[in-house]
Amino acid sequence: MPSPVGRSVGMIDADERVRGTVAYALNAELPGCLTGRILRSPHPHARLVRIDTARAEQLPGVIAILSRADIVDNPALYPYFGPVVRDQPVVALDKVRFVGDPVAAVAAVDDDTAQQALELIEVEYEPLPAVFDPEEALVPGAPILHETFPPQRGAMSADIVFNPSEGSNQLNHFKLRKGDVEAGFEQAHRIFEHTFRCPPVQHVPLEPHVAMALVEAGKVTVWSGTQTPHNIRAQLAEIFQLPLAQIRVIVHTLGGGYGSKCYTKLEPIGAVLAWKARRPVKIVLRREEDFLTVTKHQAVIHLRTGVDRDGRIVARKATNYFNAGAYADISPRLIKNGGYATAGPYRIPNVWVDSYAVYSNIVPAGAFRGYGVSQAAWAYESQMDMIAEALGYDPLEYRQMNVLHDGDTFATGEQVHDMHYRELLLADAQKAIDWRPGAEAWWQRASADGDRGAGSATVSHKRRGKAITCVIKGSVTPSTSSASCKLNEDGSLNVLTSSVEMGQGAKTVLAQLAAEAAGIPLEAITVSEPDTDSTPYDQQTSSSRTTYSMGTAVTLAVQDVKRQLVELAADQLEIGPDDLTCDEGTVRTRDGSRSLSYSDVVRRSRRGNLLGQGTFATSGGLDPETGQGIGSIHWHHAAAACEVEVDTETGKIEILRFHSSCFAGRVVNPRLAELQVEGSTLFGLGQSLFEEMLYDGGQLINANLSDYMIPSFKDLPGRLSVSVLEHPSAGEVHGIGETSVPPVMPCVANALYNAVGVRITELPLTPEKVLAGLARRSEAEA
Amino acid sequence: MKKTVRLRVNGLEQEVSVATHHTLLDVLRREFKLHSVREGCGIGMCGACTVLVEGKPVSSCLLLAALAAEKDVVTVEALGRQGLHPIQQAFVDHTAFQCSFCTPGFLLTTKALLEENPAPTPEQVKAYLAGNLCRCGSYMKIMDAVLDAARRLQPANANAT
Repeated sequence: MPSPVGRSVGMIDADERVRGTVAYALNAELPGCLTGRILRSPHPHARLVRIDTARAEQLPGVIAILSRADIVDNPALYPYFGPVVRDQPVVALDKVRFVGDPVAAVAAVDDDTAQQALELIEVEYEPLPAVFDPEEALVPGAPILHETFPPQRGAMSADIVFNPSEGSNQLNHFKLRKGDVEAGFEQAHRIFEHTFRCPPVQHVPLEPHVAMALVEAGKVTVWSGTQTPHNIRAQLAEIFQLPLAQIRVIVHTLGGGYGSKCYTKLEPIGAVLAWKARRPVKIVLRREEDFLTVTKHQAVIHLRTGVDRDGRIVARKATNYFNAGAYADISPRLIKNGGYATAGPYRIPNVWVDSYAVYSNIVPAGAFRGYGVSQAAWAYESQMDMIAEALGYDPLEYRQMNVLHDGDTFATGEQVHDMHYRELLLADAQKAIDWRPGAEAWWQRASADGDRGAGSATVSHKRRGKAITCVIKGSVTPSTSSASCKLNEDGSLNVLTSSVEMGQGAKTVLAQLAAEAAGIPLEAITVSEPDTDSTPYDQQTSSSRTTYSMGTAVTLAVQDVKRQLVELAADQLEIGPDDLTCDEGTVRTRDGSRSLSYSDVVRRSRRGNLLGQGTFATSGGLDPETGQGIGSIHWHHAAAACEVEVDTETGKIEILRFHSSCFAGRVVNPRLAELQVEGSTLFGLGQSLFEEMLYDGGQLINANLSDYMIPSFKDLPGRLSVSVLEHPSAGEVHGIGETSVPPVMPCVANALYNAVGVRITELPLTPEKVLAGLARRSEAEA
Repeated sequence: MKKTVRLRVNGLEQEVSVATHHTLLDVLRREFKLHSVREGCGIGMCGACTVLVEGKPVSSCLLLAALAAEKDVVTVEALGRQGLHPIQQAFVDHTAFQCSFCTPGFLLTTKALLEENPAPTPEQVKAYLAGNLCRCGSYMKIMDAVLDAARRLQPANANAT
């Protein structure tokens, strides 16, 4: 039967999506469920002197109030969580570390009562000096957020090297040492040194963080909108000191994630509040609270690049400061990906990277679509254009000259294969914007009016520019996905996985892969949602890994079932298993003379159903001192191309056309792949032009969708196109969920420069910065 | 303070007791269990809680429930009772969503648009739907779906007049 893989089948749950009946965690209900609300710190850094909940407790309708009194010295509860370092308390213990840090939580019969109760909790703080910038936070004498780390429990993920510096705000330090960087700079003809900055931004999933918890009969059950159900289970098992089997995490479809819903967020406070209330509790964050839960890392990147007389990059030294905010979350891993990524997709023999995660008194930063690579690419792709111009190269040709080829070594020392920058990605990007090598510099081009050939009397205030960028991105390695399946006696198949459906179409794509492996129609397949009581282990739905990793595990599980099916059919038909084939829901003898449907085989076997299981684990890892080793099971790559028009009177950048090229290896569902690349592109455009969390003395001042804008229909480029590229030599599926974000921001900045000669090194590219740059330019010219 | 109000939602009239400060969004979700109506921002900026009030798209997070009394309120649950509505079908056919949290708002705003302007240009679609945000960035496919829905509804509109 024709495989559904490679076809744009619609989402298998499309009907409920347009009927508005998707079972988001937001809609989860339990009888007697209470409303939970969180009291948050108004100070960026303060000692917690006194909390008095007596008045709030007396309010009718208040069932429970959780504060440090419930968890300090309570042998039943371990008070901390965190995916790498257990540094985040369920509620504040001795001090608060950012504006928004949870101090107490209320469970009440309704939202109004819970809200009123929050106002009756008295808290006395002793403000402490605070620090917000990652470089300032490392200066000796800076206020220290975590004087010591709490005692560690549980194993650290295999790929994370942990180099904290206790007694300072250095949370982790990733080191990469390839070749001899100093020798590289010595042989360099020119050395370029620049600093690039990007602000914290927020994911803004339209469904906020939600958790509902029930603690009864020694079992903890949590319904959560999370991308990492098994991590939540492990963390709750630590907090409640229960076996993993007694923690149940149930996840429905998410209303957007983009990394914000990775690792424990609301689940600990929700579950411990439910434990105290002895009733189910549900917490739904308000939009302003979602902004106080997790962000993309603010970053400062110092980049030093040496090139030889032929323009080849011979050495690069990068010092990256990632602002982790108040708690570690996944920063210890993210700085590794954001560290090695700073070499970019280029052949550089000598690379030295120091990448730091630094605590400061702002909202904790975590996984964000692009995962550290956006910050790195913002720096190196901006600098690529700066170097190309200084050396007199066309930016596209300069990239083609330095870009990785098959068999080259990446910064991590590993050989790279399946590299398609030159013939696929850059060629596709070039074509999309009609880039003419050698003729695209801003000073070579007339004004937009001139382009239109209008003999207009007034000089146009609009200038056009183009740019092309490319990036490389890894996927978390090593990692593990496990799947199982049940072939039922009517021939239908249940696929059980803990992959989270969050709009990327995971259920659809996994069903397509299962249908292909099983040789049954798509309609005969049902893909589960995660329920840690019944669905097997999966590390996480993130890192663009689901189609590849879970897809492989599902295929293995289906093959396991088919093996059993063939063995049973062989017995039933009294023939050797090697003489049988499976397709179209039927086991047939190779000569086609006899056959049994899958359904017949299962029924005759009297097994009820056939159970299959598959596990896919990748291996790799980097040396802790040199960062050399296997960074990623395979490398994701993408390019971007755009043309902008800059209004020199207002400073506004208009995106005339934008094209994203993403390498996918083998595409499972072209339309869903396109949707993700379009989504990544818009994510990048928002960050290019206006997204930025603004702080004033540690207070976030734009935590709402009026003051913090995300792209709307009006922000679509004049033309937006994407290519999801395959290559016959690449049988493997490549993740595409995130790879198209990082090339966007430097692409817009380089096009801006290409249009008006203004270089901006700090995102976002606001009209104010463009105008200031133009003013500096005219001063310099005058 | 509580008040009894008579709401007409998806054609059904029901008396509900609501606090005067509760929004239509609160009441539709809590009393009517209409979960297609979703809060995304709480301040009328994202359009995820859009409902039709007297045929016009309204952010239900900004409308006090008591002020919706005696008015016709329509949510996505009322569409496609017999098979999918042509707009819903167009969204399915073009996969005009990813996480689909925003989809009900887009469907209802599109319905209002196509009633006002049965053959909108892409620019008119952009302008009319600019108040509905899709963070997954499915706008290209939404545009395709809206223009396709307009074509699908053309004969029906012609018959009706």
